[in-house]
Amino acid sequence: MGFFAQIAAILERYTPFFMEGVKNTLIIAALSVVLGLIFGTLMAVMRMCRIKPLKWIAVAYIEFIRGTPLMVQLMFIFYGLPMIGITFPDVSWIPNFSRFMAGIVAMSMNSCAYIAEVIRSGIQAVDSGQMEAARSIGFRYRESMTLVILPQAVKNILPALGNEFVTVIKESSIVSVIGIADLMFRTNDVIAVTYRSLPCLAIAACIYFVMTFIGGRFIALLEKRMRHERA
Amino acid sequence: MSGHSIIQVRNLSKSFGKNLVLNEISTDFEKNKVVSIIGPSGGGKSTFLRCLNLLEIPTSGQIIFDGTDLCAKDVDINKQRQRIGMVFQHFNLFNNMNVMRNLTVAPVRILGMEKEEAEAKAIKLLKRLGLEDKASSYPSQLSGGQKQRIAIVRSLMMEPDVMLFDEPTSALDPEMIGEVLDVMKMLASAGMTMIIVTHEMRFAREVSNRILFLDGGRIDEDRPADEFFDSPRSPRLISFLDKVL
Ligand SMILES: Nc1ncnc2c1ncn2[C@@H]1O[C@H](COP(=O)(O)OP(=O)(O)OP(=O)(O)O)[C@@H](O)[C@H]1O
Ligand SMILES: [Mg+2]
Repeated sequence: MGFFAQIAAILERYTPFFMEGVKNTLIIAALSVVLGLIFGTLMAVMRMCRIKPLKWIAVAYIEFIRGTPLMVQLMFIFYGLPMIGITFPDVSWIPNFSRFMAGIVAMSMNSCAYIAEVIRSGIQAVDSGQMEAARSIGFRYRESMTLVILPQAVKNILPALGNEFVTVIKESSIVSVIGIADLMFRTNDVIAVTYRSLPCLAIAACIYFVMTFIGGRFIALLEKRMRHERA
Repeated sequence: MSGHSIIQVRNLSKSFGKNLVLNEISTDFEKNKVVSIIGPSGGGKSTFLRCLNLLEIPTSGQIIFDGTDLCAKDVDINKQRQRIGMVFQHFNLFNNMNVMRNLTVAPVRILGMEKEEAEAKAIKLLKRLGLEDKASSYPSQLSGGQKQRIAIVRSLMMEPDVMLFDEPTSALDPEMIGEVLDVMKMLASAGMTMIIVTHEMRFAREVSNRILFLDGGRIDEDRPADEFFDSPRSPRLISFLDKVL
């Protein structure tokens, strides 16, 4: 049987399997980015705030997360935390809830650090003259931020945030090692029953590519819209 | 001393780290007068101007604006800044707002002016400068000269007691300098109190009541405009004028 015939045969039988994997991958990626965005924003605010201890905590967190492998962070959350008595509860009507939680917590803690940096650099990329003009006319720091700086920073932040989403989709494949049934995990399942690793991996690669490609296009579109809105 | 001083500077010093940029400067600025500040690059002109509205925090000394010491702990600097207009070398119009919003956002948000009232006022000022057709443009769609004139109008909208200009024409193409200087002359003859850092010597002489030569963090010469150029005393000013005139 030729390579493409093998792929076709596998798809015919196992498409629902792959699709379940896709669903879980997307859920994990989306939740991680949303949570990462919420906590990343907080972290960015801490990183830029004038209260020194808060700033140090944020710097330490961001540097540590960015300087260690996601795999280690994931293992730490999944195996390490229960050892010191921190466990995620099981929820009877969601299978594997505690695994899922560990995966999402690890992914969003990781994403949070990167997003914090995206937000910070997006804000700092706004010309400092904008803040000076706002302050010199009599706006308070907070008003200057919300009226002048943030609306301009958003334009820098959104595209980078889109890239982060694409990255998270790819990186999330790592959660398969703790037994979350994401696309990578399901791919391994199919390999295990068919003994055909190459076609299965090709299918997985294509699906990942389609997801990131569509994600990327969508972001590019968003970017273009924003640029047209305000010349 | 004639007239009432609106800003009194007392022993103002400013250092950046070990770099002493302003060294014990004291001077007064009177109401309805135009004072220009000239001097070599790095002499501290911008720093001095930015200290006047506390964009830079003085290391020591006092800035007394209309009787209020701006450095005092209990002073709401935001309130005081509403009365001190500032025009920047690089215009610094709010890039995320169109011209109309640039002009009205501060009067509406800070002074509590009605939006309609603020817009009517903006239109009136824009018309005076022949810029009323730019009301809905964004800064990126304007020429440098237009941006700077709008920036001046933005300050005027707050009806400031004094206006600070930091090299308002230095970033402009030569053919646009005139239109900005004309607006400033108009303001001067309307009695606006102005403090202007500039390299435009002819303009400075024409429009100023007094000129300061700021060099090495000190005011090296402080004279009425004509005397300043015709009979300079400080040797450094003499050699500076030799170079630039
Ligand atoms: N934010 C800052 N941090 C550190 N040093 C500064 C800062 N701002 C200005 N300086 C230093 O202060 C000195 C005076 O600078 P300033 O900008 O006031 O000069 P200037 O007279 O306005 O010069 P120019 O004609 O080039 O605009 C320079 O040596 C400059 O390097
Ligand atoms: Mg300067």
